[in-house]
Amino acid sequence: MTGRMRKQRQIGPYTVVTRLDSRNTAPGAAPPEHRFIARSPDGDRTVLVSTPLATTDTQRFMAEAEAARYLVGPWILPTAELAAPGDRPWHARPYRPALPLPTALSVYGGTLPERTVRALGVALAETLAVLHGQQLTHAGICPAAVLLAADGPRRTCYGAVRAAAPDGTPRHEAPGLDAGSLPPEQAAGGRPRPMGDVYALGATLAYAATGHTAPAREELPPTLRSIVPRCLARDPAYRPQLIELIDALADQGAAPADSRTRAEALLVPGWLPAPVVAALAHQSAAVLSAEVQPPPQPRAAAFAVPQPGH
Amino acid sequence: MPLPLTHDDPVALGPYRLIARLGSGGMGTVYAARSAGGRTVALKTMHAAIAADQAARTRFRLEVDAARVIGGEFGARVMDADPLAPTPWLATEYVLGPPLDEAVEASGPLPEEAVRALGASLCAALGRLHGSEVVHRDLKPSNILVTAYGPKLIDFGIARAIGDDRLTRVGAAVGTPAFMSPEQATGQDHDAAGDVFALAGVLVFAATGRAPFGHGQTQDLLYRVRYGDPDLSGVPTGLVPILVQCLDKNPFRRPTTAALAARLHDGTGHFADHLPDALLAEIARRATEVWHITPQRLPAPSPLNASDAPPPAVMSRRRLLLAGSGLTVAAVAAGAGAWVWSRRPTSAPTPPLVGPSNSVLPTKDLDSIWQRQISDSAYDHPAEPLVVRGLVSVSTGSGLAGIDATTGDVRWTTGKYEPPWIVATDGERIVRLAEGADEEEDKAGGPPLTLVTLDPATGNAAEPFAGFTDLNGAMLYDQLLCTADGVAYVAAGRGKSDVYFRASQSWFLLAVDIGSGKRLWTVPLPSREDGSERLYFLTARVVGRHLVALRETNEGKIRIVVHDTGTGAVRWEKPLDGLSPDRLRQPLAADTRNLYLGTGRLQALRLSDGSRVWDSSTGRPDRTYGLPAVKDGVVYAVEKGLGLVAVDADSGRVTWEEKGGGGAKADLTAAPVIGTDHAYSRRSSDLWAIDLSSRTPTRSYRTTGDRFVAHEKAEVTLALGGKFLAAFPLE
Repeated sequence: MTGRMRKQRQIGPYTVVTRLDSRNTAPGAAPPEHRFIARSPDGDRTVLVSTPLATTDTQRFMAEAEAARYLVGPWILPTAELAAPGDRPWHARPYRPALPLPTALSVYGGTLPERTVRALGVALAETLAVLHGQQLTHAGICPAAVLLAADGPRRTCYGAVRAAAPDGTPRHEAPGLDAGSLPPEQAAGGRPRPMGDVYALGATLAYAATGHTAPAREELPPTLRSIVPRCLARDPAYRPQLIELIDALADQGAAPADSRTRAEALLVPGWLPAPVVAALAHQSAAVLSAEVQPPPQPRAAAFAVPQPGH
Repeated sequence: MPLPLTHDDPVALGPYRLIARLGSGGMGTVYAARSAGGRTVALKTMHAAIAADQAARTRFRLEVDAARVIGGEFGARVMDADPLAPTPWLATEYVLGPPLDEAVEASGPLPEEAVRALGASLCAALGRLHGSEVVHRDLKPSNILVTAYGPKLIDFGIARAIGDDRLTRVGAAVGTPAFMSPEQATGQDHDAAGDVFALAGVLVFAATGRAPFGHGQTQDLLYRVRYGDPDLSGVPTGLVPILVQCLDKNPFRRPTTAALAARLHDGTGHFADHLPDALLAEIARRATEVWHITPQRLPAPSPLNASDAPPPAVMSRRRLLLAGSGLTVAAVAAGAGAWVWSRRPTSAPTPPLVGPSNSVLPTKDLDSIWQRQISDSAYDHPAEPLVVRGLVSVSTGSGLAGIDATTGDVRWTTGKYEPPWIVATDGERIVRLAEGADEEEDKAGGPPLTLVTLDPATGNAAEPFAGFTDLNGAMLYDQLLCTADGVAYVAAGRGKSDVYFRASQSWFLLAVDIGSGKRLWTVPLPSREDGSERLYFLTARVVGRHLVALRETNEGKIRIVVHDTGTGAVRWEKPLDGLSPDRLRQPLAADTRNLYLGTGRLQALRLSDGSRVWDSSTGRPDRTYGLPAVKDGVVYAVEKGLGLVAVDADSGRVTWEEKGGGGAKADLTAAPVIGTDHAYSRRSSDLWAIDLSSRTPTRSYRTTGDRFVAHEKAEVTLALGGKFLAAFPLE
C-alpha cells in the first residue's frame, strides 16, 4: 500500500495512495468509474477521487459529478471538488474509511448476514426516498456503488447510468454498468426514473444476501424473500414503493421511540460483521501510514540570469 | 479523542509536523503528527525538563529500544525516534483501538472468548519481548491498545536495569500497584514470571472490570498484592484455575507465556471474531474519527486574574481554620508509566454512571460547572484538593496544578516529574515538604528536610524557608500534617531511608515557624517496627491552640492525639476503636469547642480534655453514621438507611432528618458539604443537593467523585475521584 518507491500517479492536485476497488473484481462487481484514495500536496487532506472509465463521455461524467455537489440527505457522499473545465476530468470528496460492497463480501468470505442486509436496505431506501422527494433519480445504484462505512452505507456513483449513454440509446452494452443492477427500462434507453432505483436497490440487496443480483426466491433470507423479487419486477408499476421496502426490512412495530430514523435503529453496534470492521480499521491504518511523494514544486530560478549586453 | 494543540506546543519535531494532542501525562505529551508525505503518526515526547535528567533520558532510549523489539505485530510500529533531541521523541504508527481500560469502561467487561483471545495474543507479545531479554514490568490495562487485529503493548516506561536512585528509593511505588507482581511489590527482581502475574491481573480486569487486588491506598494495595488472595469473583469459571496459577505468589509455580497461551486459546478464528460488538464498534469509530482531525492550535491563555486578586480584607479566623484542614499524605504518583495514549478531552469526559432514578427529585442528572481530568488512571490516588485563595490545588500526574475554582482553567502547573508532592495550605499559601540538595553524596542520613512556600499565583517555589540537616528529607514516610497561623506541622524521620520503616530510624513531630524557619518544638514519636508501612498520621488540623490528629499505632489501631500548638505537649489522647484507617483519611470536623467523629456512631469529644460531650448510641442506638461536617452549631452526617440528619452540636439531639425517602442510598464514606442553603451529599454516582429549610433533595448532579470539599470563595463544591476534579454549585 505504501509504494513509496513506485512512481505515483497524480490526479489533479492529488497524489494517489491506492485504489479503492480491487482490480480483479468479478465482472459486474466493478464500479462504473475509477476510484482512488489520494492525498493533497500538503499531506493534510486525504480524498476519495473518481475518474471516468476510458469509454465514458467525460462531459456527461462531469455533469453528473457537478449535480452530485448538491445532494442532500443521509448516507451520501456529495462531491466536494471538481476538475477545472478543460482539465482531465475528476471529482473528489473527503476520504472516510469505507469498503465497496463487493469488497465487503470478499473480506467476509461470503454473503452478508441478514441483519447487515436489512440495515443496508433500510438506509439506502431512506436516502433514495429523500432524493426522490426532490424529483431526482440516482440512476447508478449497483453493488460497487454502495460503500460500507463504520456508521452506515454511502450511496455513490450518482448518475452513472445517464453518464454511460444518453437517453434514447440502448445501454445493454454500455461500458461500466452492471447489467444485473440495470433496470430493463433504462437498459432499453429509457430516461431513468425513481422506480428504476427501486429495481437497482433490489438487485444490490440480492447481491449482498446471495452473492448475485438475480437470485432464486429461496436463496434469499426470509425477510427479503417477498420484497426483493418484487423490486426486480420488469414492469416498474409492479415494483414496491420505498416505504414498503422500509416496512418490510425495518424492525417490526412502529418507528423507534427516540429520535432515530428506522435505519439508525438498525445501524447499531454489530450491524457490520467483525471481519468487515477489521477490514475498515485495516484500510484506515494503511492509509494513515501511507507516505506519498508530493509532486515536485515548480522551482523559482535561484539566480537572475544576466542579460546579454547588460 | 484528539484535542487541539496548545499555544506552546512545538510546531514540529524532527520531520513531523504536529497536528493534534492525543493526551498528556507527567512524563510528556503524545501528539498526532504528520510527515511531509502525509503519513500520520503518534508522536510521544518526553518533557524537556524531565529529559534534562540523564536517567530519564536513558529510560526513554530504553523504551524506544523495547518498542523496536516488540515490533508492529504486538506493539506500535516504530517509524522514527530521536532520544537525543532536547525534547526526546518517538514516532510510531497511529494505533486504531482503545486502551483496554477505556474499552472495558465503555463496553463493559469482555466475554470469556474475548478474554481468552486477548490473553493468548498478549502471551505471544510478551513471548516476543522475553525472547529478546526484555521484561515489560508495567503491564496494565491502560498500556494495552485493543485493535481489530490483536492487542498492542505500549509504554515500556520502566525497562529493567536502570540506575536511577530516585526510582530505587521509591522502588515500591514504581509500576502500577494494582497490577504489580508480589516480587515487584517487595522490591525484588521482577522477571518474565512477573509479567505473567501482571498479565493475569489484566485478564481479571478484562473479565470483570476490577483489578484482582482492588485499588486504593498504595500501601494497602501493596500489602494485598504480597499477601492477599486475588478477588476472582465474576471471572468465568473456565478461566479461574488458569488465572489462579498465574497469580501464584511463587514465581516458579506460574506457567510460561507459551503454556498459558495454549491453555487460553486454540488459535482458531480471527481476533476480531472474538470481540463483542460494542468494542468492535468503538474500534470502527476510532478508525473513522482519526480522519476528522484538522490541525488546530489554541491561542495563549489570558493572563492570570483570579489568583492575583488581593485576599479579602477580613477573613474570619474560623474560615481560615476551615480552609486549613487539608492534610496531604504522600500521594505516590504513578511512576514512569505516566504517559497517556489516547484520552478523551476534559470537556467531554466519560459519562459517569447514572444513578437509579428517584421520583422525588425535580431536577436530575445535572452536569458539573466544570470538570477536568487530573489523573491518568482511576488507580492513581490524587491527594485531597487544597483550597488556596480562588484556586484549588491538586497533585496530578504532572506535578502540582493550580486550577481556578470558578472556571476550571488551569492557572499553572509545576510540570515537574517529582513525586511525591507533600503539600498543605492555610488557605493563603502553599507549603511543600521536600528534600534538600545533597551536599555530601551518599550521606547516611540522607538529604536535609526542607520546607518551601509556593506562590499561589504562579506555583513557583521560593527558596526554602527552613532546612534541617538532622532530619532525612528523602524518607518515604515524611508527612506535612497541616499549616495554620504561620506554623507548619511536620512528621519526619532521622536515619537511613528505606522503602519501609526501620527500627533504627527515629521519628519526630515538629512545628516550624513559616516566617523565621525556626523549629518551635520537636516531640518524639513512638518508633515504628522494622518493615512497617503505616504512615503515622491519617489526618490532622489545628483548632485554636490544639493540633488535633488521628495517629495510627504499630498495631494498626487509631488514637486521637491532641497536642498543644505552643509547646507540642500532648494535651490528651485516647483510642478510637473499631474503625478502618482508610475511611478516616479525610478532614476532621471540629469547632471551637468539640471534635466530631462519625463512621459508626456519631460522637462529640471536648477539645480541651477529650471528655465525651454526647454520643449517638444513647439516643439512637444501633444507628450507623458517615463522616460528619459541622457548621454554625449544627453537625450534619448521613445516617445509614435514612439519609442526612442534622444534630445540635452542643446537645447531640437530632433536630431534623432528610425527607423524601431518597436517603436510603446515601453514601457513608464522604462527609456532606454544607453551603448556605443546601447540603451536598453523595448518593451512588450522584451528588444530591438537599435544601436545608425544606430538608428535601432538590437537585442531583452526576459525579465520579468520592471526596468532596467546599470552596466557599468560589462558591463551588469540589469533587475529586476517578480521574477527574469537578466543581458543582455551593449554595
